[in-house]
Amino acid sequence: MTVDHAKPAAVGADRPATERAPAPKARRRSDRDGKWWTPWLFLAPALILFVYFKFIPMITAVTMSFQDVQPYLGNQWVGGQNYGTVLGDEAFHSAIWHTVIIAVGQTVGSMVIGLALALLMEGQSKRLKFLRSAAFLPVVVPIAVVAELWRIMYHPTEDGMLNSILGLAGLGPSGFINDPDTSMVSVIVTGIWRGAPYDMMIFLAGLAGIDRGLYEAATVDGASRWRKILHVTLPGLRSVFSILFVLAAIRGLRVFTEVFLLTNGGPNGSTEVAMTLIYKLGLEQNRLGVGAAGAVLLFLATLVLTLFVQVLRRRRDA
Amino acid sequence: MRKSRWIGVGLTVSALVLSGCSAGPAGTNVAQDTKAPLELWTRTTPGGAGEQATKRLAEAFEKASGFKVQVTAIFDDFETKLAQRAAQRDLPDIVMNDVTQVGTLKSQGLVREIEQGKIKHAAELTEQALKSNQTPDGKLYGLPYSAQASALLIRKDWREKLGKSVPQSWPELVDLAKAFTTGDPDGNGKNDTAGLNATLSTKRGYASWYFSNFLWAAGGDFITEAGGGKYKPSMSTPESAAAVQWFRDLGCKDNVIQPGSVTMPTPATNETFEAGKAGMYVVGPYLLPRFDKALGKDKYEVVPMPKGAKNADVLAEGLSIYMMAGSPNQAGQDAFGDFAISADGQKIGMEGETAFIVQLPVNKNVDIAQVRPDPRWKTYAEIYAKSGHYAPSIPNWTPVRQDTADTVSALIADCKLDTKAELAKLDTKLTATLQQQGISAS
Repeated sequence: MTVDHAKPAAVGADRPATERAPAPKARRRSDRDGKWWTPWLFLAPALILFVYFKFIPMITAVTMSFQDVQPYLGNQWVGGQNYGTVLGDEAFHSAIWHTVIIAVGQTVGSMVIGLALALLMEGQSKRLKFLRSAAFLPVVVPIAVVAELWRIMYHPTEDGMLNSILGLAGLGPSGFINDPDTSMVSVIVTGIWRGAPYDMMIFLAGLAGIDRGLYEAATVDGASRWRKILHVTLPGLRSVFSILFVLAAIRGLRVFTEVFLLTNGGPNGSTEVAMTLIYKLGLEQNRLGVGAAGAVLLFLATLVLTLFVQVLRRRRDA
Repeated sequence: MRKSRWIGVGLTVSALVLSGCSAGPAGTNVAQDTKAPLELWTRTTPGGAGEQATKRLAEAFEKASGFKVQVTAIFDDFETKLAQRAAQRDLPDIVMNDVTQVGTLKSQGLVREIEQGKIKHAAELTEQALKSNQTPDGKLYGLPYSAQASALLIRKDWREKLGKSVPQSWPELVDLAKAFTTGDPDGNGKNDTAGLNATLSTKRGYASWYFSNFLWAAGGDFITEAGGGKYKPSMSTPESAAAVQWFRDLGCKDNVIQPGSVTMPTPATNETFEAGKAGMYVVGPYLLPRFDKALGKDKYEVVPMPKGAKNADVLAEGLSIYMMAGSPNQAGQDAFGDFAISADGQKIGMEGETAFIVQLPVNKNVDIAQVRPDPRWKTYAEIYAKSGHYAPSIPNWTPVRQDTADTVSALIADCKLDTKAELAKLDTKLTATLQQQGISAS
């Protein structure tokens, strides 16, 4: 507590009780917070940018989802027709299903591998710092480069990079992204490769916050390494798991670039996800209203998922 | 309610009002200013030869007319970026892009009608090129400035090494493709070459684009005009189905299409040919300078596609100048279009060994043999005139191309699929697309 904060209480102590109560409260608020608009002033630059580049486009997208959008001919109000088109489209149902598969696959894969990497690389050694930086590299590489890299690695002939490795084990060659049976797994693997190091860093931060005394106590009790992970590490990382789950699930639901660049939703629509379909409907076929309806539905799904996880988390914490 | 919440409410209401205000039509009755610089977008690689050639044409136009032009080259996702500018109601003044965009642009109200009377050189345009820019109502919504058709590029050195002749029929084409695939034509001792190089990605509908070279020659069609400006889907007709089956066999039975074709857009496919991984490629003349540099002129030859079951029709394409809606300088737009299609403009567009934007001239008064003595260009010009087949001008060709690309690509990617069932499904999708555009015959 600062001297300024302590003062009003000291002064107020000598006054009658009827006068005492409001005065310190008002002064305390004024002294500590300044004018009511001060925080808004600091927030203003960011807010203005957010309003014009985020919130207005978002609201415009909602408006567009109820219109047949023809900017130079005049938009026509069509009510829920665009939503009907999207929801009745078989391709959209498949795309949602594929999106869920990719979201679950990439989320689980990234978290499991991220946790494993974090457990392996936890510590203060300089070598570990180097290894951690090296492992983090896929996150900072632009996604377009990642996609091109994996497209080359997935070359479907025997002399393709990954197929040469499969060949050593007497397997393959696999078509990877060129075969509808393996394309989905290939896209998920690329996503995991990029997402796991990100999860690793968050897990490392979470691991640093676990009380070392618990490990020592577990050692004294004769707990094995596996039991320590199960009963100390994992419970200690509970909040990290829920944050990562939300982040990874949102990332999974909004997956676009790697799919667009690797397969463009193919072959035979086997990797078509909500975002690539929305892109095709809205921007390639110029059906902006239908695309916007798809985008609003995806936004609502993401919102519901996020709220669901938050509610679940609060209940657990309570 | 606290003041902060009121501010939040105020911001939301402002946003709603702003978004509501921007919902009305725009682009009509714009105040005209002949001094306004013309913003020109061209679909070509930024910093590449196409951009240089466009700038050269723009500079010549500026000198001749006094109008100002700002050239912007965009290649990736050109239509997407244009749609974004349309959504902002701030289109460039002139767009130079594929002729197949004419229906889409017109139906979206993004282009204005071109009054032929104001374009004095329009009378010199070839009928074929002019027709490709007209919508079914006969009105002109784009001005052709370049044309092209597909020819067959063959690795001549490989063909001669294997003792094969230039294919004159489809069976001979398959035979040569098989020889290129299994005969180790590059002599490296590995089985790493393909017979046919094909762009079969679904991106931008490339698979449909490529397959049209085979579909039309077999007598098939994507959609067929049923009279009165109405169309019906025709991918299930015996001719179309036979063309699909024949093409599919190349990938699924004969294995002569390059591996990974179903996820390859044009840049990757071009690289495959110039890297010596495939022996034949059906493509337009715009790639000749690139392949001359990468492979060498002597390594490959340009020949007409062999005749299919019906004829030797190949995909004809063109590039058009679109006068975009909402321009404050319509006089400048018309003047640029007129200059680009004039004999002088066409020759400027054809200048150079690599940096040219006019493939085949659309002006009757320009003789390609005189401007470009290379006989390969004459081959292309003859193919265009005799066998060039444009996609029909319907309100929006993009969904038709996209739907057919999805199916063609799928049939090559998954050899277990039932061709007949997939084509029936495709026709159902095409019917829905035609109905949505108000041109379905059923």
